[in-house]
Order: sequence, then C-alpha cells, then structure tokens
Amino acid sequence: MAAMARPLPPDFPIRSQLLARLYDEQRRAGWIAPGFADAIARELRLPVAEVWEAATSYADFRSAPLIGDEVRCAGLSCQLARGAFAEMPSEASHCLFRCYDAPATGGEEPFPAPMVRQAGPLLAPDITNTDRLNAARRLGRDAALNAVAESGLRGRGGAYFPVGTKWRAALEERRPIALVVNAEEGEPGVFKDRALLSLAPRRVVEGIAIAAFILEPAVIVVFANGQADPAVRSLEEALDIAEPQLDVAIVRGGGGYVLGEESALLNALEGRRPVPRTKPPYPVQSGLFGMPTVVNNIETFANLSVHFGDVPGFRTRGTPETPGTKILSVSGRVRLPGAYEVPLGVSLRKVVEQSGPAVAGEVAVLAGGPSGGFLSAGHLDVPLQPGILHATGAMLGAGGIVVLDAPGDIRDAALAMARFNAEESCGKCTPCREGTPRLYDLLAAGDVDGIDGLAEVIQFGSLCGLGQMAPGPVRSALHFWPGVFA
Amino acid sequence: MKLNGVSVEATGSLLDTVLAAGIALPHLCKDDNLPVIGACRTCLVEADGRIVAACSTPAAGVQECATDSERAVRIRRGVLELTAAMQSGPAGAAGGPRSAESLEAYASHAPRPGQYGLRSGTHADLSNPFFSFHEDACILCARCVTACQELQHIGAIGIAGRGHTARVTPGAGVSFRESICTSCGSCVAACPTSALRPKG
Repeated sequence: MAAMARPLPPDFPIRSQLLARLYDEQRRAGWIAPGFADAIARELRLPVAEVWEAATSYADFRSAPLIGDEVRCAGLSCQLARGAFAEMPSEASHCLFRCYDAPATGGEEPFPAPMVRQAGPLLAPDITNTDRLNAARRLGRDAALNAVAESGLRGRGGAYFPVGTKWRAALEERRPIALVVNAEEGEPGVFKDRALLSLAPRRVVEGIAIAAFILEPAVIVVFANGQADPAVRSLEEALDIAEPQLDVAIVRGGGGYVLGEESALLNALEGRRPVPRTKPPYPVQSGLFGMPTVVNNIETFANLSVHFGDVPGFRTRGTPETPGTKILSVSGRVRLPGAYEVPLGVSLRKVVEQSGPAVAGEVAVLAGGPSGGFLSAGHLDVPLQPGILHATGAMLGAGGIVVLDAPGDIRDAALAMARFNAEESCGKCTPCREGTPRLYDLLAAGDVDGIDGLAEVIQFGSLCGLGQMAPGPVRSALHFWPGVFA
Repeated sequence: MKLNGVSVEATGSLLDTVLAAGIALPHLCKDDNLPVIGACRTCLVEADGRIVAACSTPAAGVQECATDSERAVRIRRGVLELTAAMQSGPAGAAGGPRSAESLEAYASHAPRPGQYGLRSGTHADLSNPFFSFHEDACILCARCVTACQELQHIGAIGIAGRGHTARVTPGAGVSFRESICTSCGSCVAACPTSALRPKG
C-alpha cells in the first residue's frame, strides 16, 4: 500500500528525508534491517550510527520481523473490555484509537459519525466554502493576528498555551517560519484529532490556511500519526480540493508517546533520535532546523476556523481564561462512549453522567491519560479547564476521559498506566528512563512505602513534561484507593 | 543574583555561575567542550522555588539559586541513586581522564547503596585496539555520542533503542572495530565513568 505522505521541500537538509525512508521501509518489509540502515546511510550521506539511532527509537519500527499475532488494542478501555491485563502480547499491541469500539482488533478505521455524542461548532457538519479564511483575509494580517490573540484561543494539544502569544514570539524572530501541524495523536484513549480529520477535514484545512495567511511560513509540515491511515487519507482529500491550494508536506511518524513533546517531534522531522531538547531555546525561537517554529494541534486549527466564523461569538463559549469548546474522548465503563464537544469549564460530573456510566461499584475517572490521574466519585464536581483537576495528578490534558469501576478496576488501570509510562519513556533522561520502570515494580509488588520518594525524583528531575507527569496515575490511585495495592 | 544566600554575578547558565563561584555541583552530562545535553539531571538546583537543571537554565532572570536546599540535595541524591544502580561493574576500574567525575558526585551525595536494584547492560566491546567499552559502567549521559557526532562530526556511535533498552551502539549494531570509528579518543575523554576505558 502506498504510504500517504508528501515530501518535505527538496532544499531542506537531506537528513530530513530519513524518517520518511525508515517509515516506508517498515511498511514495506515489516522491519528495518541493519543492511537497510547501512544503505540508507550511504544514500543520505549520514553516519550509519545516527540512522540506527532513529531506526530503533520509534514504537512502530522493528529491528526484527514480527510474525503472527493479530494487533489487539492495548489501550485502557480495550484492556478493561477484554478483562485480560496480564495476557497482553506487548509486541503486536498498541492503541488502535477506537476506544468507543472496545475491545478493538485489527487496524484503524474512519471515525464513525454516530460516535459524535455531542457536537458543537468543531464537530458540526463540515464546511463547504472558505468564508472564514476570507474573513481573516479581509481583516489583513496584523488585524487577524490581533484577533487571534484577543480571542483567548489556547492550544488544544494539552498544554493550552495562548496561540496569539506563540505566534507573536515566532514572528518577532523576523526570520522564515516553519509551521508544524501536529496530527500525531499518540495518547491512548484520545481520538479527537482522528474524529476531526475524518468528519471535518475541510474545517482543519481552513484553519491551516488561516495560520498560513497570518504567519506566512516558509514551510508547512503535517506530522501525521503513522497508523492513522483513514484520518490522513481524509486530510489529503481535503487538501486536494482546497482553494487556494496549500503547499503542505505530510510526514508520517513512527509512533511513541514522546512525540507529544514538541521538541522530540521536531527532532523526528530532522531525522534525529526523537527525544526532547532542553529549553531554552523554545521552538518558536529555534525549532525545525533552527527556524522559528510554530507547532499547533489539529483541534487548534479547527478552532481557528470556528473563531473567524464568528469572532464575537467565540468568547461566549467556554471560560474567560479559556474560551471555546473542547472535544472530550470518553470511553471505558459507559453505555455511550465517543466524542463529546463541550464548552470549556463544564463540570466533569455532568459529562460522566451524560455518558451513562455502567459500573458495579463506584464511578471513578482517569482524566488526562498516562500523564493525568484518577479521581474518585466524590471529586467529579470540577470544571474541565486547563491546569490540574486534583493535586494528585488528574488533569484535562488532551481531553481523554476513561470511566472506571472503583475499586474493581483501579489496580489494573494504575498498573497499566505505570507500565505504559515505563515502556514509552524515550530513554534520554535518567529519572524517567530508570525511575518509571521501578515505579511500576514498586506498585506491582505493593511496596508503597518507597513510591513517594521515587515519584518526587521522577516528577521534579525529569527533562520533559511526560516524565514530570508520569507519577500522576500512581500517586492518585494510591491517594484515593490505598487498600487495593496492599 | 543570590547563590546559596550570597550575592554573585550571573554568568551564562546557572551551572556556569555555580562553578564560577567555586561551588561543587555534579554535572555528569555537561562537558565544557560540548553543547548542553540535559540527560543526566544531576545538576538540579532550586531556582526561585523551582527545581531546574542548572546546565540548561540561563542565569539571567533568576533571583535566588540554591544548590544546597534540602529539597535540591534530596532530589539530586535520588537521581544519583538511580544512576548508580545502572552500574554493576567492578568498582575502581580505570577509566579515561574525566572518569572521576561520577565518583566525586557519588562521594558528595552519599547515595544509599541498594536503594534501587541494579539494572544495567552487560555487553562489553573489546574490539578497538586503543579502548574498550563496558555497558556495566555506562550511565547513558550521551557525552561520548555527542562528542563523536557534534564535536568530531564522525558519528561512529549513537544511542539505539528506547527507554530502558537504550544502549550506546556503534554503527547498526556492529563492533567498534567494524564501525567507522577513527579511534580519535574523544569519546573516552568525554566519559564521566569508566564505561569507555583506554587500553593500558
């Protein structure tokens, strides 16, 4: 099958071709042999050790052929539905991002429209013209930039950084800008970018066009999840019919939770080992090959289009600090899993009740996935907004909400998150690489006395946000249900 | 800025400022010759109430920096305990010119022995005529790799694998002798442990 991808500009450094070559080889052969690494190193004139670094640093790339097993989803909701945590074959398993369809097997599918349980402007029927881009154009670049800043729009990838502030910082560099569209979506339990790309791709493309009008980037790159073929195909179709045409490269990733860290994603695009960089400099100062680089999430681009469709109306949804809507990915022990587009600030309890929890004991929630934390039934009256929802770890993040049965599911779910963080550590920094496997071991052994000290080292010592937040699920589970780990 | 309560002039990074003031602070992945790596996390300090890596934090803008706060020392010790648990090899093996750096870090922070079970590689590569590589002493600080790739622009070694499977590896899984290594010695000179050892 031809990979859905579009090459980076030919005048980019040649090493930028490495990820695409490795990706194609993995798809073609099912693994990346040392001999292939040698050949590609000669062709791209890179040291073979650097090629091998990249070839061995992605979740989906294999250095030996994988025979046999059907791919079974390893996401939390599918493990719950299957009821077999211990039996998961780790080699052939990864999240299939169909948590509404648990337990999922096989591959990815286009997001089904009936799984939109609650739509707002983002998940409304897709747009058919470019009225909102035209509205931005009529304002002119400067006024459109001011409108973005005044909208209060914050990035929807999980960190909620103000979009206007990020863009101004890149523009202030007064050098050619790289615009990176983050369609990597690699957090198990989150499927909102796939929903947008499947159901509202023209909305997303219009948002990219608006950003391109304001930022005038020298290059636009979509970094697309390597497994998400249906979503990428839908995006390509929308790009093909976009008026005016956008010159966009599409690079497919090799998988790995660390790609949610934007500097690791930029290293991946540069053909380097995908590990986080130290900051400063921030990507807006020096990102892709040193260019001032704006990285925004698919849902952020869709919000840009929504904003320019109704500038005064944008702030009427959500909170004053975080206007607009957010797509929640709800799954687990519920009768109505799927995508819920809600105004930011809505009560978590309301969302949980809407989804129809079906539990034997008490309702519990995992909010924010492997970087978030658990909440007990008594702690659901919190507004869903950026920042932590509970001091022990729960947060909105990318909007993953898994409903659980407490106490029955808690031990398995906490161990699954701890194991995920250990397996997905990129390996660059010592606290995360060495600490997260031991955190799992301590929890599995019920040796809870040592956990506080180790969790502190991982949280405050790790280089990037993923390590810093890795203790959240463990700490929150121990806080609310200490008895289940004894 | 105030450093451990004393007024000093901020220079470069917090680590530069700390070392210029004559204060000892481990910095196992930061080498004067190399760019900031930020991997070892042994130079953590408390800056205006936040724990940060001194090597990658600009001193400008920091009001108060403490290398000796109870929290900073406690977390550094924890990091060094995890670091020490990567080393299962015999103590006292003779390394390169900077190999004492790890020993000094341990001596100053008294990591509790056996706090974490050992988790180290076991592979040894004796193929190069001038030096050998021993995984059981490697702490994956990436100084050797950075020296090879960014200082010498050779790229004979890299870090292959993710998470706790990460290993310093020449070529695509070949030995040092079979790789494009020129035996320049930069990796041996950069190593803060005895993982890369000159042959006597």
